Amino acid sequence: MSSKNVIKRKIFQGISASSGIAIGNVVCLENKRRKVLPQSILESEIEEHLNYFKDSREILIEELSEMLSYLDADSAAIIETQKQILLDAEVEKRVHKIVSEELLSSDYAVYRTFCDFIERLKESGSELFRQRIVDLENLRDRFIDTICEDGSDLSIKKGTILVTKEISPTELVSFHEKGLSGLVMEKGGITSHAALIAQSLEIPCIVSMKNATSKILSGKAILDGREGQLILDPEDELLSEYKSKLKKLKRAQKRLLKNISEPSETKSGTSFSLHANIEFKSELGQLKKYNANDIGLLRTEGLLFSNNLSFEEQAEFYETVLASVSGKVTFRLFDVGGDKLNTKLPEESNPFLGWRGIRMLLDEKELLNQQLRALLICAGKNKGRVKILVPMISVEEEIIRLKTLINDLQAELKAKGKEVDPEIELGIMIEVPSAALNAEHLAKHIDFMSIGTNDLTQYTLAVDRGNERICSLYQQQHPSIWSLIKITADAAKKTKTELAVCGELAGDVLGACGLVGLGITNLSMISNAIPRVKEELISHEDDEFESLADSFLKASNTTQIKGIFEDWRNH
Amino acid sequence: MIRKKITIKNSSGLHARPSAALVKTASKFKSDFFIHMYGYKVNGKSILGVMTLAAEHGSELELEFDGPDEKEGMKTIVELIDNKFGFTDE
Repeated sequence: MSSKNVIKRKIFQGISASSGIAIGNVVCLENKRRKVLPQSILESEIEEHLNYFKDSREILIEELSEMLSYLDADSAAIIETQKQILLDAEVEKRVHKIVSEELLSSDYAVYRTFCDFIERLKESGSELFRQRIVDLENLRDRFIDTICEDGSDLSIKKGTILVTKEISPTELVSFHEKGLSGLVMEKGGITSHAALIAQSLEIPCIVSMKNATSKILSGKAILDGREGQLILDPEDELLSEYKSKLKKLKRAQKRLLKNISEPSETKSGTSFSLHANIEFKSELGQLKKYNANDIGLLRTEGLLFSNNLSFEEQAEFYETVLASVSGKVTFRLFDVGGDKLNTKLPEESNPFLGWRGIRMLLDEKELLNQQLRALLICAGKNKGRVKILVPMISVEEEIIRLKTLINDLQAELKAKGKEVDPEIELGIMIEVPSAALNAEHLAKHIDFMSIGTNDLTQYTLAVDRGNERICSLYQQQHPSIWSLIKITADAAKKTKTELAVCGELAGDVLGACGLVGLGITNLSMISNAIPRVKEELISHEDDEFESLADSFLKASNTTQIKGIFEDWRNH
Repeated sequence: MIRKKITIKNSSGLHARPSAALVKTASKFKSDFFIHMYGYKVNGKSILGVMTLAAEHGSELELEFDGPDEKEGMKTIVELIDNKFGFTDE
């Protein structure tokens, strides 16, 4: 670059959470702390201001309701309480009074009403209730924001790149509808809900970009999702370089989508199946686009978080999912730690090594029975389409106990004259190293196994991927993982047990190729990964995959494995 | 109008979730419902009202029902409080 050109461009680095390129104008959403002052209104404006109040309240209620289905970390009970607070008759009465008698604006009326209640709570001096104050302040501010913004303040247009501290799943979906092209978050990890939704909606996204909202305020920018980089005020050459990259990406995507209708076979004619992982109801709509006929992993925890646990509520959800595909659905039983239950327990010092998955389910008999009953009845109505997958199996006794329970329940339902599926398939997650090493024995009790590579990586490398300091150790392609997969695959072959992989490794091109090389042709992944995985799998012969997997098993570290794959792909 | 004194029995008191349960139940009745505590009087159908009482375990409340279904309302609310709002106690 010649000295005449002043380089304005600035590069900001974060962590890649969803790949892709976005080019557009930055809109920065800071956490503006609004000062709310009493503002007089005219008598003729009363009606209008009361409507602001009611409309905003409706928007907030709707947001909260949607949040339930997006499985926000907040438990549903808390969200339900927030809804009740918004609809509180006393709040409405006081706001009406301030607006129509004192002739003050609705945002201030809401502000003062909430502040009164908050003051009273503060005065009570109770520690327990003090925590609630934060919740109330938060609700108050969101209420005021909604009244003042009526949604138009934030100018999200087609192509906008949003820079924000964090964002709720609901907001992200609504911005997506307005044409948001990229997302930068100051907080949040790659597994935060917003990041997962960005991936599912194919919005390029960067997380953990420090001080983003104080440094990136406006201007034209390039967001490179794969590199986790935001380039602010890029020079023209760079801009046109990225524009052509973006074009290529779009063309490639179109080409990939064409592959979707091709038969799922390797060049040698071996067939493979690519299924979808589903967590949110909102994802069901995408299945057709990717030609996914089976759901290889349905996470059911959302029901737990939203407290929709009655038999009817569960059955309805399961039926909805079954109706959205023509093939089989693998339902994984509630896979959470005890901290997600209503019963409050002493905090565990090591929750990931604690009371979770099958360990918790076998103790919480009522919860388990209810879920099994709902699933078994659905299976009776949809014979051959319901598979049950058990999370977190670490020892043989767990699956034996569960199997007995299922058999008893089936007998009980039959005795009551209910239709059941006597052939219902039962499987276990292989996500704890002990289960992988013991797979041959475990396989005797079940119909199928599904390797959960995310937890398997976490437990094998002893690393919490959410911990920023050490998350680089979270290497799902590490040779040790390949060894455990190989052991499981051998056990499956020997015992003639069906084997699938449903972790992120299956949706990773390198991972998928290696897995097929080990003879695992049943892969389940986030649905938008299906095209690129399929593209690679239909382009090679079986022996190529086999030799690739062989080299993976001989490698000593992840960098080597990545290198082997690059060479293999380019040869 | 009927009034009745009652003591909060669950260990965490009338915090958010029990308050929510109380208000939800009370709202099913036509009668007016108020709670008196230490000279405060709040609308028992207002969750913020109930929460701001900050009633802890052992607090004494006086319930007041006034209306066509006051007896039934009182009975239901007393049962709810006596049953610790149906939550397994923490």
